[in-house]
Amino acid sequence: MAELDDIIHQPLRLKIMAALNALPVATGLEFARLKKLTGATDGNLGAHIETLAKAGYVSVDKAFVGKKPQTTVTATAAGRGAFARHVATLQEIIAGKQV
Amino acid sequence: MIDSKEASAALADIDDIVQRVKQSQLYELASLAALWWGVLVFAGNVVTWLWPFYAVYAWPAVDILGVGGLVAIRLLSPPHVPGAAFDIRLVLVFVLFFAFGYICTNVLGHFGPRELGAFWPIYFMLFYTLGGLWFGYAFVAIGIGIIALTLIGFFTIGAAFPLWMAFVNGGGLILGGLWMRRI
Repeated sequence: MAELDDIIHQPLRLKIMAALNALPVATGLEFARLKKLTGATDGNLGAHIETLAKAGYVSVDKAFVGKKPQTTVTATAAGRGAFARHVATLQEIIAGKQV
Repeated sequence: MIDSKEASAALADIDDIVQRVKQSQLYELASLAALWWGVLVFAGNVVTWLWPFYAVYAWPAVDILGVGGLVAIRLLSPPHVPGAAFDIRLVLVFVLFFAFGYICTNVLGHFGPRELGAFWPIYFMLFYTLGGLWFGYAFVAIGIGIIALTLIGFFTIGAAFPLWMAFVNGGGLILGGLWMRRI
């Protein structure tokens, strides 16, 4: 019986992973865009991205575009796999295969 | 473990965010097109106002550069962006669009410069607005706004109508494009 992934299951982290998984492999989202999409605050989003990065589910790249710092978050292969398993588990729960 | 209601809510959250990502990518692509057309239309109207004689050359140039720019934006966009892949139907849409507009303005009716200056933006923005019913409210807001201001100018502004249209149509598309990048 598959288990829900505790790291992904937190609502904001679920949104972050869903947004990143909607993109092709190796394509990331800028921090500002992710913030707009999820409706999170800077601090909250930063903390949850750090949790996902520690689990190896996302990679975080910091670069300068001109003089502006830009942070890009990308789902890793492990993150995509974990997200797919998490979604499959949710679907199993709805289908009544798990109690 | 969670129950099926909570699982459904989680899946609904996922669907919602995926839709937002797609919408955001579409707006980004559309904003480039709006900015490009806005600059061209602004220039076309300024030429029409300052040197009416050259309007006959300016507008075909605006149309060719505008359509060429749209094709370039689509070809240069990452393939995952909705609507980014080149589709021959896009060319057909523009051919039919311009052909129908030409028939209306030159065959069924004989529009003067002022009528042409109002017809083409209204005609273009009508499709923009209709497309918005499927692709996002920003298109509807921009389309209706420009149509309304075009009609106001047509009925109330005198000889400076092309200048009015430079700001309403060209400026409106530029502002609309910038707005789409922020939502």
